[in-house]
Amino acid sequence: MAVTTSQNGGVGGARRPLALNPLDLARLASLSVRARVIVEGAFAGMHHNPNAGTSIEFAEHKEYAPGDDIRHIDWKAVGRIDRYYIKRFEDETEMRTFMLVDASASMGYKRRGLTKLEYASYLAAALGYLLAQQGDPAGLLLFDEKTRQYLPPRSRGGHVRDLLLALEGAYPAGRTDPARALSHVSELADRRSLVVLFTDLLDAAGTVADRLRLLRTHGHDVALFHLLDPDEVELPFTDLTQFEGMEPDDARRLLTDPRDLAASFRRESLALRERWRMTCLESRVEYLFATTDTPPADVLRSFLFTRQRARK
Amino acid sequence: MQFLAPSLLLGLAAAVLPWFIHRIGQRRANPVRFAAMELLLRAERQVSARRRLREILLLLMRTAIAAALPLVFAKPYTEVRSDLPAATSRPQAALIVLDDSGSMRRTRASDSTPLFDRARQRARSLLANLAPESDVALVMASEGTATPIPEPTADRARVLAALDAATCSARRADFTGAIRKAVQVLTSARRPERLIYLITDLQAVGWEGGTGLPDASGEGGAPPPAVVILDVNEGAAWPNRAVVNLTAEPAPEAGPLGVAVVAEIANFGPDPVSNLGITLRFDGAPVAKGFVELPANGRARKRFLHALGAGASVREAEVEIDHDRFPLDDRRMTRVEVSRGLRILVVDGDPRTVRTEDETFFLEAALRAGGSSFAVTTALPDELAGRTLAEYGSIFMANVARPSADVAGALIRYVETGGGLFISVGDKVDADAWNQQLGRILPQPLGLKRTASARPGSGAEGETVDLRPAERLAPFDRRHPLLAGFPPRGDGLSSARFFQFMLLAPAPDLPSRSVVLRYENGAPALVEADVGRGRVLLLTTTVDREWTDLPIRPGFLPLMQEAARRLAGAPSGEAVAALTVGQKREIAIGADDRRIEVIKPSGESRWLVPEPRQSDGKPARSVLFAETDEPGWYRVRGSHTDGSQIDRSDDSFVVNLDTRESDPATLPADQRPDRARAAAGGEDNAPKRRLELWHLLAAAVLVMVFLESVLTIRFRRGRFV
Repeated sequence: MAVTTSQNGGVGGARRPLALNPLDLARLASLSVRARVIVEGAFAGMHHNPNAGTSIEFAEHKEYAPGDDIRHIDWKAVGRIDRYYIKRFEDETEMRTFMLVDASASMGYKRRGLTKLEYASYLAAALGYLLAQQGDPAGLLLFDEKTRQYLPPRSRGGHVRDLLLALEGAYPAGRTDPARALSHVSELADRRSLVVLFTDLLDAAGTVADRLRLLRTHGHDVALFHLLDPDEVELPFTDLTQFEGMEPDDARRLLTDPRDLAASFRRESLALRERWRMTCLESRVEYLFATTDTPPADVLRSFLFTRQRARK
Repeated sequence: MQFLAPSLLLGLAAAVLPWFIHRIGQRRANPVRFAAMELLLRAERQVSARRRLREILLLLMRTAIAAALPLVFAKPYTEVRSDLPAATSRPQAALIVLDDSGSMRRTRASDSTPLFDRARQRARSLLANLAPESDVALVMASEGTATPIPEPTADRARVLAALDAATCSARRADFTGAIRKAVQVLTSARRPERLIYLITDLQAVGWEGGTGLPDASGEGGAPPPAVVILDVNEGAAWPNRAVVNLTAEPAPEAGPLGVAVVAEIANFGPDPVSNLGITLRFDGAPVAKGFVELPANGRARKRFLHALGAGASVREAEVEIDHDRFPLDDRRMTRVEVSRGLRILVVDGDPRTVRTEDETFFLEAALRAGGSSFAVTTALPDELAGRTLAEYGSIFMANVARPSADVAGALIRYVETGGGLFISVGDKVDADAWNQQLGRILPQPLGLKRTASARPGSGAEGETVDLRPAERLAPFDRRHPLLAGFPPRGDGLSSARFFQFMLLAPAPDLPSRSVVLRYENGAPALVEADVGRGRVLLLTTTVDREWTDLPIRPGFLPLMQEAARRLAGAPSGEAVAALTVGQKREIAIGADDRRIEVIKPSGESRWLVPEPRQSDGKPARSVLFAETDEPGWYRVRGSHTDGSQIDRSDDSFVVNLDTRESDPATLPADQRPDRARAAAGGEDNAPKRRLELWHLLAAAVLVMVFLESVLTIRFRRGRFV
């Protein structure tokens, strides 16, 4: 069980009474219930009202142009630099969120517990549910090597149900191409949005980092949920094993005694995470790592806590 | 390499098992579809080289183990060149004859290990190679040395302990006697196969009596034991140099107390030796040094003249040459008696006008010869009555017809009060008169004169052959002090011929009487008897050439001189005072002596107490010292009844190495007991022996199994961190 976050140090949340582990969550009836439980678990003990968000927040300065509302001229700036600047505000309730969920075949790996895709679905559902509670429009983009399903961000009633249905129907297949999905979102997001990517980053092309950086350049908030199975961290196999690739056309095979490779594998896995954490840190992308045995509520709480601190 | 059970080599097919198991293991691998293949392949690249090496190492080790096991069971062996015969590995009764003679103290030019140590090591190696069921005994080859393990035993620890405790003596080798003893020991062996392993430097000395093996028919028809000779010298050259003789004689030209010491040095090497250093010492202090030139395989004499100072009547002379690989024979000692003062009365019973025909001509010459310093007085039988016999240390009665009653009485008193009487017979002797007058002191009554009937043997080349029938002396016992100075074969006495002699009347056996010499027909030649406090020697032939040619034989002189000393109770002369290692020394007990102390060259003391005589229960007049194991000076002290101790320098004696031990000549091949047997069609002692390898291989398998386990555990634990 692991959850880490970058950009602000992150929070490794201790388990709360309602922070059910993934297997317990899986026993719940539907994804909507699971989403609600995750959200409640995430907020339990935070003493924070999820419905009491700031209505208006400063976004940026803009040089005054004829036609602008003079009520928004920043007089302090005028006093300091003798120029007219308009203070622009962004209404948080209007912030759109794009949730990108990797549904490639590699996300379907599991030996115990949940697949990474199921785990990503739980997190996306909980986030969607939370956003719907706040009245924020949330969209969903399921992708493998191409966009498999896209639900644009909406805040109308019933949209969250579509979202949950789409997530429940997701299945692992195909090769992965997060860069393409990010490009797609970049085209879709015409104004500042929150882009949340759920992927295992295995076999991800180097362009993913460029796409993330580009999104940040366009003013979007970006969060990356790096999800791995515990086996992909520790390689705990004990018998002679014939390993085969999961994605289509992946002909890679390896017959080995995994005990010989465990230490080296752990180093490689850690290096992968460290590489992405540093990439995200440089691009001011929020990075959260979690294994699929971590209670999703803890991951969500960590995410929310990080964002809350970032606003202050 | 060969195998005792080659059929088991079929098991070598098991060598493919590890590879087979490896392949089966691969087939049984669990298939897993895994997402993080990239990470996995990177990790694999990091460890693949080491893992491959480890797998190859383990596979090779396991294959070697699987292949070695059938090899072990097939009992491989190889044949190696060795002195040990193939029979060594068979159950047997083995008798090890270890050569501990003086020559085994030398070292070879190639190393500084004494040959005896090499021989002992060889014996240990032999023990290690013998089949475990074998019984082993151990006999030492030097003359007169005790047998450490006198019966075959399976107790190897005991044999090893005896080997460890064995020391190299300075005695001469007696291989004939040792092998004879070995054959006797092996007669009681349980094992039918009997072998004698003789570990020696193969010196020719000690084989004079033959191989010591019984005839092939043997006792009860059993074949004699096989003899295997293990030559520790391995044929190495031994260019030995030795002082082989040392004499001292008065030298008036060097002054009143002048003495000439003559050393004879032998070179046993093929190359001449020049400027060989030689040193003369008196009483331990060097008094002269010189050099000597030695021809190849030849001898040289070095004569030193030295004027002795006043002081002790007995001086210790020692000559030493520069040391070689055998230092034991590089020095020789002798005692120099400044004045013995022993007075001898010779009674001539058949005087002649022609000096050389006189009865006592040869006797007087013998007693006066060689710097003996005897004070010899000659008298006629009639003159005896007027003489004080007690003034003489010993009296020789040569062919005296019949002693008068007065003379007989005087002689009886003289003998019974401690005097020594030597009686020789001849044509003049009236046996009945002697028996009647001197029966009390005669060792045995005189009998009839006897003429030899045996055919004469041919004489040595150049010798005037007397064609009269003659008797010869039978082999004699050198343990008798009178004969201790004579070589084993009795050179100098054994060649003497006896044409006439006097038989002695039978007499009951008495412990105080002993026959010193016998003729070949069994008749006594020289009889000794202790009478009262004195001693009588009776020679049953003449001391001139009338009945015998003994007086012209080399043994006559030392025999007469020793007889004179023995009768007088005086210290022995050159022949006995200079003993060789292993000879016994009789030491006379003085009237006041309670016991005798002998101090050996090493400084050890031995106390000798006279034992009571069986005849009369009185203490013996002499003690016998047998521990003459080392060359050097043996000092004698008498302990009186009042507790005082007196140095008896006159009784001190010197022990030298037997010069035959210096001779590096090796036993000719045709005289070797092992070759003789092989030539006679016996079992050939193959120069190769079987060396079983399965013990070694089994040990290697165990080591490999251990290493395989260690490697496996280590690899599993380490797992390429």
